[in-house]
Amino acid sequence: MQTFVKISLSAVLAFQLIAAAPLAAQTRVSIGVTETIETHNPYGDSVSLLYGIWSEVTGPFCTYNYVKGDFEGRLAERWKVESPTIWVFYLNKNYKFNDGSPVTADDVVHSLTRRVIGDPQSKQKASVAGPIVKAEAVDRYTVKFITDKPAAPLLSFVCDRLIVTSKAIFDKHGRDAADRNYMLGGGPYSLKELVPGQRLVIAKRKDHPEAKKNPRAPDEIVYRVMRETEQRVTALLNDEIQIAQFIPPHLRHRVEKAPNLRITPVDSIEIMFLAMQPKPPFDKKEVRQAVCHAINRDQIIKTLLEGFASRLDGPIGPGQYGYDPNLKPKMNYDPEKAKKLLAQAGYPNGVDVELQTPVGRYTLDKQITEAMVPMLNAVGIRTRLLTPEWPTLWANVQKGLVPFYYMGRGSVQDPSAALHQYFHTGDTPRIGYSNPKLDELLDKEQAEFDPKKRRQYLSQAMSLLTEEAPACFMWRHKLLWGLHKRVDYKPLPDGRIYGIDMKVTR
Amino acid sequence: MAAYLTSRLLGTVPVILLISLLVFGLIHAAPGDPTLMLLGEETNAEAVARAREHWGLDRPLYVQYLKFLASTLAGDFGTSFKFGEPVSGVIRQRLPATVELALCSIVIAVLLAIPLGVWAGAKPNSWIDNLGTTFGLFGISMPSFWLAIMLILLLAGTLNILPTSGRSTYGVAGPEITGFYLIDSLLQRNAAAVWDALTHVFMPALALGVNMLGILMRVTRSAVLEVMNEEYVVTARSKGLAERAVIWRHAASNALIPVITVVGLELGTLLSGSIIVETVFAWPGSGSLLISALNARDYPLVTGLVMVYTAAFVLINLIIDALYAVVDPRIRY
Repeated sequence: MQTFVKISLSAVLAFQLIAAAPLAAQTRVSIGVTETIETHNPYGDSVSLLYGIWSEVTGPFCTYNYVKGDFEGRLAERWKVESPTIWVFYLNKNYKFNDGSPVTADDVVHSLTRRVIGDPQSKQKASVAGPIVKAEAVDRYTVKFITDKPAAPLLSFVCDRLIVTSKAIFDKHGRDAADRNYMLGGGPYSLKELVPGQRLVIAKRKDHPEAKKNPRAPDEIVYRVMRETEQRVTALLNDEIQIAQFIPPHLRHRVEKAPNLRITPVDSIEIMFLAMQPKPPFDKKEVRQAVCHAINRDQIIKTLLEGFASRLDGPIGPGQYGYDPNLKPKMNYDPEKAKKLLAQAGYPNGVDVELQTPVGRYTLDKQITEAMVPMLNAVGIRTRLLTPEWPTLWANVQKGLVPFYYMGRGSVQDPSAALHQYFHTGDTPRIGYSNPKLDELLDKEQAEFDPKKRRQYLSQAMSLLTEEAPACFMWRHKLLWGLHKRVDYKPLPDGRIYGIDMKVTR
Repeated sequence: MAAYLTSRLLGTVPVILLISLLVFGLIHAAPGDPTLMLLGEETNAEAVARAREHWGLDRPLYVQYLKFLASTLAGDFGTSFKFGEPVSGVIRQRLPATVELALCSIVIAVLLAIPLGVWAGAKPNSWIDNLGTTFGLFGISMPSFWLAIMLILLLAGTLNILPTSGRSTYGVAGPEITGFYLIDSLLQRNAAAVWDALTHVFMPALALGVNMLGILMRVTRSAVLEVMNEEYVVTARSKGLAERAVIWRHAASNALIPVITVVGLELGTLLSGSIIVETVFAWPGSGSLLISALNARDYPLVTGLVMVYTAAFVLINLIIDALYAVVDPRIRY
């Protein structure tokens, strides 16, 4: 029996060595990711992770530097605002497609107008083009974006999102073949393999200007779809993957105990909030404020979230554009004040409401809202928790059919788009709030190109929002990343993963 | 036989039509809107309206159904909202993974369940019978998603002998020929890829097959137990045949009919069970595709997948009926 076991184990080892042999020559980082990767069309999805991956293949147009708190150039090395509705971008002449041809203004115009705006299969029009109505090539390396109205936050639409693909290849092969068989990009990595639903592999272009700046960036990056948390943690412990996205707080100890692994927490730029439509009883400002004062955010962060969240005293937090640490008022936990506000609003005997939450979409969403229910009940807001399936809840929120819900808004580098979307009159029915004074401030910030003045308008708007409380701003989760110690990388708050920023030890 | 099969095939037409109507109606009645699911949280009313028009969602429901029916009859399920590619192509790309997984599950289940069931049935109340019955109960009671996580923790985690997920290791397999990794690797005589495919398929196949194993073991045991007192078994014994020959040649072979029925029925269950197991193991098959399509409210892809599953069920039942005649000479159509 022992001999049989020995022979079997030897065979297993031999097979594993054979399997591993062709892979030993390069540095490779495998990353367990939570999003599915399904299509070859780089414009076919609108999620952070894929914007990051495709940006790395096609070259980020420009990028947000979280350390500086500002945008900086990549493929578009610099830009200027020619007039309130015209932005001019100057391209880096050293960016070349995999076939050696330069990335030109024509490619940018083609990508924006034909792929993002014009292609019905594109899912990115609203997220990437936003206010852009037209793009024109000024010369071979200069491109002009024309917006329908003054758009000061334009960079937040195009940076880390605008994917630039080759016009020549598209014209020659057509959309599907160009994406599937001839994926050319001007970025520091090239697409090597995509197995839909399983993995995507990119390989470093050693001659790329960005790659030359960081020779220790991994030669290959394998993005592996791993939606189960147990799976990501186990794979990380086994060295099957070297980076695991989003480890839930209760599993972090398993990673921390491993000598070769570490946990890196990162403040997400997704803002979590409780939204209240201004319909009875939330048509009364006092009721909305009572909700905000009733919830002990610090306790939820300390206990349920084990400290892995940053409390929000306003719509955004540190590192996000326009953050003002002195923003007032602060909606502190004060149940007595909440009771008084409820009585002032005409509900001295309390009021019945229904709170809706997604389940499993955000960290501990159901458990968190379950913890909120007794807090709300304690001040007289008798709450029934509903947990509809995500597509149902999301569709109803988008149609303005949910009066009270727990939600997150991701990708808030610059809060302008999010604030307009949720709080500007008529933009979307998600909350249905309307306040002419707030509209005026939001319109002003969007048209103001002086950063100092724009920050002031944003600050005033966010202060008014906190006071009026159409939403209670809760926290930003700290996302926990599991990393192998041979990978030196600081994950980004927006969930994008840039291999070119990694340093790998063999 | 041919006339019987033809009439059975014709009988499936109204079934498939009814199912197409049900699926189409149910998916459209479900709350949620594909445009809102697929265009991202920053979308606006103009983009939503444009997508609705492009996908034909602005037309009356009966027009959408008739269009779907017409294209389905022509062998085309339409274009996936999410992928922007023909549904038939997307399914074709993902179906081999599911079929491979289901077949491996059956192999595991049949190879273990039949010997165990026959042995348990032939030796009632023995230790092997008790062991088999307990094992069968375990298999039937175990939810596959829980078992899947436990297997990951044990075999990939504690013992670290199998990969946690996926269908293959990057860089090991050669180019795709049939879409069945095991067959492709064998055709290419790539030993490393064969081993890689086996190590990847083992855990999901086990998680998927354990339930079938339990059911099959119990059915086999009951069937063998029933025939063990039949006169032809007594005759076989009285002829002086070895006990092994009595059990396998005379008892087991006659107990096979209910087992075949169960295998057929369970094959259909395996297809639906794979939806959960594929998701847990990141297995890129049609099960995980269906979940993804449902979450995105990708109507054409959901209806296309359900139609394929329906056709598979019908076909399997037909094959099982045909097999009865092969296994039991008394049955003639």
